[in-house]
Amino acid sequence: MKWAGIAYALVVALLSAPAGAQGDPKAEVAKLKPKDFPTQPIEFTVVYPAGGGMDVSARLLAKHVENLSGDRIIVNNRTGGAGMVGHSYLATQAKPDGYTVGVIASLLWGDAMLRAQGRWSFTDLEPIAYVNSDALIWVGSTEGPYKGMSIKDVVNAAKDKPNTIRVATVPGSMWDYILDQIEANSGAKFLRVPFQGGGAGITALVGGNVDIAQGFYSEFRGHLEGGKVAPLAVAAAGRLDYLKDMPTFNEAFGSNEYLWQLVRYAVVPKGTPADRKAYLAAAVQTAMKDPELIAEYRKQGVFFDPKLQNSKDLTADLNAYAEVERQFYVKTGRLK
Amino acid sequence: MMEALNGLLSGFGVILTPANLYLCFLGSLIGTLVGVLPGVGPLAALALLLPVTFTLSPIGGMVMLASIFYGAMYGGSTTSILLNIPGEAASVVTCIDGHQMARQGRAGPALGIAAIGSFIAGTLGVVIMTFFAPAIAAAAIRFGPPENFALMVLGLICTLFMISGSTIKGVLMIALGFLTATVGLDVVNGRERYTFSSVDLSGGIELLALVIGLFGVAEILSNVETMAKTTLLADRIRGLWPSLADWHASWRAILRGSGLGFVLGLVPGGGPVTAAFMSYALEKRIAAQPDRFGKGAIEGVAGPESANNSAVAGSLIPVLSLGIPSNPVTALLLGALIIQGIQPGPLFIAQRPDLFWGIVASMYIGNVFLLLLNLPLVGLWVQFLRIPYRVMFPVVLLLCVVGTYSANKNVFDLWVMLGFGVTGYVLRKLEYDLAPFVIAFVLAPLLEQSLRQSLVMSSDGAMILIKRPVTALLLAASVALTFLMFRRRTKTEGGLP
Amino acid sequence: MFERTLNVFWIVLGASSAVYAWSLGMIGPAGPESGLFPFIASIIVSGAGIVLLLRPATHARALDFPQGGSLWRVLGVILGLIVMAVGMPYLGFSVTSFITMIILLRTVDRSSWISAVTLAFISTASVFWLFGQMLGMALPRGPWGW
Repeated sequence: MKWAGIAYALVVALLSAPAGAQGDPKAEVAKLKPKDFPTQPIEFTVVYPAGGGMDVSARLLAKHVENLSGDRIIVNNRTGGAGMVGHSYLATQAKPDGYTVGVIASLLWGDAMLRAQGRWSFTDLEPIAYVNSDALIWVGSTEGPYKGMSIKDVVNAAKDKPNTIRVATVPGSMWDYILDQIEANSGAKFLRVPFQGGGAGITALVGGNVDIAQGFYSEFRGHLEGGKVAPLAVAAAGRLDYLKDMPTFNEAFGSNEYLWQLVRYAVVPKGTPADRKAYLAAAVQTAMKDPELIAEYRKQGVFFDPKLQNSKDLTADLNAYAEVERQFYVKTGRLK
Repeated sequence: MMEALNGLLSGFGVILTPANLYLCFLGSLIGTLVGVLPGVGPLAALALLLPVTFTLSPIGGMVMLASIFYGAMYGGSTTSILLNIPGEAASVVTCIDGHQMARQGRAGPALGIAAIGSFIAGTLGVVIMTFFAPAIAAAAIRFGPPENFALMVLGLICTLFMISGSTIKGVLMIALGFLTATVGLDVVNGRERYTFSSVDLSGGIELLALVIGLFGVAEILSNVETMAKTTLLADRIRGLWPSLADWHASWRAILRGSGLGFVLGLVPGGGPVTAAFMSYALEKRIAAQPDRFGKGAIEGVAGPESANNSAVAGSLIPVLSLGIPSNPVTALLLGALIIQGIQPGPLFIAQRPDLFWGIVASMYIGNVFLLLLNLPLVGLWVQFLRIPYRVMFPVVLLLCVVGTYSANKNVFDLWVMLGFGVTGYVLRKLEYDLAPFVIAFVLAPLLEQSLRQSLVMSSDGAMILIKRPVTALLLAASVALTFLMFRRRTKTEGGLP
Repeated sequence: MFERTLNVFWIVLGASSAVYAWSLGMIGPAGPESGLFPFIASIIVSGAGIVLLLRPATHARALDFPQGGSLWRVLGVILGLIVMAVGMPYLGFSVTSFITMIILLRTVDRSSWISAVTLAFISTASVFWLFGQMLGMALPRGPWGW
């Protein structure tokens, strides 16, 4: 096995030799490196299973941060309870010593407000950098009785024939919430078929087992290119670059409340020493400016929220989004 | 047909470079090692080695990851046979007869048949993949919740065949397995069940911790109790290769296992674990003398070990032909492709034939590598049995701990492992068969989820289960099998015990 | 005797679990609720326990639970695992497994101090190298950083 290890090291060394003239961003980051840190690998914690959208984003980020800072980064998946196990770990158990960085999504807010039961709050995790955003998209099939319909047609059909249009949903999160909103505003009634994730719903759609699926672009892109699915609408503030023909929910219904996005960002546990936090923040933020990483992310179909990208106070801006979500929970009776 | 052959040839052209061949071999080696280590399975290994693929070409990375996946299915039988401790969840059933064979001095033939069966099944699986992948994928995608439910029911009925000894105790174990599987979140509505405010429990019980506890720790506890013998194998080892009689007994099991495993690899929630269990149940059911099972019947090794290998090929079809993963390992492979900027979907074969056929071609080669790697190792592994147990067991225990920990990096899993270890130890003493517990634990979540999804989806309630042809067929088969089972049990045991 | 206790245990486990499952709800508008499947499983567990309890003992053999030396060995292994689970988060993997190995080799096995320490060191180091370095897995580190 030893020569396998040597071979591995050789392959890594040869193929990832740093390009010469990258001095500037690397030097900037290196300047902030605290003394005697890090002496061991840094963990990027992902609370969802390996191979999923969050995991892919985190691993791409880890790759670039590692190249930039020269520190060893290990991505660790702490899964379970639809993210709850990992979120609890980060908020209550992870040592605030700079060796744990959570690469998480805004689903944290729902977990903190609805399920943590006061044991921890999302303010126990301090944001250090914004990564990307993914907006929830409704897709229909290119076969079957609802093909060719626009989003408004679909909702009207659901109103005329309540409880017949099958929508794939993930219970207890934004997949359900947007359905609540649409049903409340239009009087339509959809038949909700529960799945464990957006991807499973897309599979069911292609297999003809549901009529509408909800997911992120990366989850159905392959099927889109294969002509099996047709995107209907996106729950974002503006149209997506790579799906310019698809309207936003807000456009279609003349509203401004259909905003359901996954915001991915990096956090450290509260209490991490200021110098280490600043170093980690600099490393991640600088990596996020790398055009190569941005290109890789664009291939995943994520987009970059301009407000968060250029934010002067990331924590405040993220908290503002969290507050909007909290209002939703209060309004719909999920939170007192 | 011709198209497939052309594709395959081009795939060989892609793969037969020194770099890619080296990666295939490296992956096979790592896979075997990972399979041998108790607890650490292909999922953990792939997650750990994913960063390595960043610096490799897409084909190189995928070839390496894929070969780790099926390589682990080769190695998993080693500790199962030698130590009665499963190398990973898919090798649990191999312990049952494989270890008995080892105790009879026939560890060599057991390991040999496992390796050769794995090779035959793996290769057959790839052959089917080569010619039928798109067609199979198109059919597999139609498998919705009702079909899944029916398949899981069939699997559960088959589990009843696996029960050795008291039927009542077996049924109790199945029910207990079901119950244990409900600990955690209810997928259908997000509610917590049996979690008692523990965050760790809300993630459910980790399969690996359960399996290593029930079969690894319990085994060590049993052995430690009776430390009469200094080695596990006091007698001489009788022969290193399967005899002609062994072949005669096994070849049909291998073929059946290959077919069954391939089909079970295709469906979501299936995969190598389910395939191995089902193959064991099948072999036991159709054997002329089912009492031989549990006492060293070689079909009990040949069938499951073949099934878990062809299940790998089966599970790769949905992900490579459609971009749909059917189990966590293939989900990870999908992620690896995505990170490389490739999006597998229905157009994958058309857009990236070099990748698809390269991976397929590498599987032929990988299986050969693994055969060449594992067969000579049989002689080496058998020598392990000569190590005094008192020296071996602490190391094995340590490996069990690390293996379990590797699943979620959560110390809570160690407590789960310990708890199930003690439970398994006690239950074994009281003559409870633990295998049905494990398979019920694996099947239950998908069974429940699929049923509830089906009922929600359907406009006329449970009738959906009858209206959809495949579902109806599978359910009818389940009913038929149940009758057959009761008839047989009453015949052989003169009444339900 | 142990069989009896276990059968009673099944009955109690099944019954309490069934009560809990009942509180989760059985049937809802959309079909089975969270509690239905666990409820059925619990009832089966209890039922099987009752059947087993009522059956005349088919084997008269005494149950051979460990005594004396055997019992200590079994408890030793269990203790070792408890030490691993408790110690790893605080002392890190290396130190805890070293200590555990020594405990196991000395109590369960009666090795001499020299062979115990040597074997403990070699195995801990090899496992740490194999998993930590070769496979790149993050094993917990103690306050000393390793």
